[in-house]
Amino acid sequence: MRRPALLAQLAAPCALVVAVALLGTLVSRSSEGYFVDSLVKVAIVVALYVFIGNSGVLSFGHVSFVALGAWTAGVLSVPTAEKPAIMPNLAHFLRGTTVGNVPSLLLAALAGGVFALVVGLALMRLSGLAAGIATFGVLEITHNVLRYYEKIGPGLNTFSSVPETTGLWQASIGALIAIGVAFAYQRSRFGRMLRATREDAPAASAVGISVYRQRLGAFVLSGVLAGLAGGLYVHLLPMNTESLYLDLTFVTLAMLVVGGATSLWGAVVGALAVSALDSFLAQAENGVKVFGGTLDLPAGTRLVVVGVLMALVLILRPAGLTGGREFSLPRWRRP
Amino acid sequence: MTVLVVENLEVRYGAVRAVRGLSLTVEPGEIVGLIGPNGAGKSSTLHAIMGAAPVAAGDVRLAGASLVGRKPEDVARSGIALVPEGRRIFGELSVEENLRLGLAGRRSQAGADDAVERAYELFPIVRDFRRRTAGALSGGQQQQLAIARALVAEPDVLLLDEPSLGLAPRIVDVVFDALAAIRESGLAVLLVEQRAQRTVALADRCHVLSNGELRLTLDRDDAADTEKLVAAYFS
Repeated sequence: MRRPALLAQLAAPCALVVAVALLGTLVSRSSEGYFVDSLVKVAIVVALYVFIGNSGVLSFGHVSFVALGAWTAGVLSVPTAEKPAIMPNLAHFLRGTTVGNVPSLLLAALAGGVFALVVGLALMRLSGLAAGIATFGVLEITHNVLRYYEKIGPGLNTFSSVPETTGLWQASIGALIAIGVAFAYQRSRFGRMLRATREDAPAASAVGISVYRQRLGAFVLSGVLAGLAGGLYVHLLPMNTESLYLDLTFVTLAMLVVGGATSLWGAVVGALAVSALDSFLAQAENGVKVFGGTLDLPAGTRLVVVGVLMALVLILRPAGLTGGREFSLPRWRRP
Repeated sequence: MTVLVVENLEVRYGAVRAVRGLSLTVEPGEIVGLIGPNGAGKSSTLHAIMGAAPVAAGDVRLAGASLVGRKPEDVARSGIALVPEGRRIFGELSVEENLRLGLAGRRSQAGADDAVERAYELFPIVRDFRRRTAGALSGGQQQQLAIARALVAEPDVLLLDEPSLGLAPRIVDVVFDALAAIRESGLAVLLVEQRAQRTVALADRCHVLSNGELRLTLDRDDAADTEKLVAAYFS
């Protein structure tokens, strides 16, 4: 592929992220949170894309890695003095350990990657329905462990007192890192091999590609990115295990599907488009002024609409809004 | 020295015995043909060599080492390349990406670029279309790409599963000429085909399979003997 075309493939999603961040600086303080949230969602969906998009194997378990990343960064960055109040049963070595913002994010990424490696070693032999169900099991296990195991976090309590360092800056840098890593991976030999297994696994193994190893590599890489995104998330707003469970799994998968699961461009477009809709509906559930009137939607409308949107996209445009293709510049026709 | 040895090979899918006690050998610089009607066990034999079909009994050896029980990707990396039936190119990737994926089967990445260059020389059309999406190529072009993809791994043995299937006669010539050139380069080639007469004419030896069993072996002089060919098929 020619260099300008390749550059555009990377520049377009990055430009979109920067544009959203800039737009976020123009709005009110209360609306800014939605912009930051959408950028964190970009990071999560790009993490999903690295595995699902390139391998064609569905995973319902990625929010586990997001959750573990959030827990890691959260536990390690709550100020030592406040730990006993929100996490009275915390393990001794965690009680005395507090790290800064950036180290907490790096450790979140590490935790996500290590967890993905452990899970992947066992599950990457599966594909199709079996993989989907097994990864769903991982989500359930993680959710319940984080919910009830109070030695490693706040359990049922909300993770408060985590320094709120994820603003527009940190969220957009996080999203850009995720995009950069995903792009480098898909251009690499390994990305190419994994996409070959997505198209035709038996033919790929016949040319000497280990389907298991390529899937495992992408799973770990996406676990690292998901862990990082979880770290960003916990630094954004106070959350509990419910914020890192089924709703988030559903919304982020919907974002990937709506945008187009087989391209990085699709992941970013889908994350931002669905985020915009999702934020608007969330506000509308509390009453929002539109064109002079007041729109007041019943609670729960948000996920109903996102669900319907996903179904419609699957029916009308199965490859997603972007057609599952990378961004390409329009061609100039010579007269 | 014999590079590929198949000995008393038996392939079973449940109760069905697809290949029964097949033995054959292939030497470097030699094309061995495997012909026979549909369901004779030709493709099963190739799949069993690749580790993609269950070997119930017998042995497959590459340069003396048994391949039975090894995974297809390991077999590919140990020096056997398969050009599968129906080409099985990766349609959404570019032609060049497809070709470079074949490098995964190399034992060493040293000299990879030279191997790609040689594949381009053998199939200039693959070079001409290297930036295109592979799925947009015609059947004949895809077949040339599939063979080129197998060759860049620089295997000792090349297995081909009906490479002429669905191709125009002119393209069949291109493919068969390429196989003759590949033989000249010293590779051992095992060719499964339906075009019996052409295969017998090209191959150094040609085994006729029927019902999973080896029925008879023909040599190049038998190509003109239509009666013998027909008898071999329908006996």
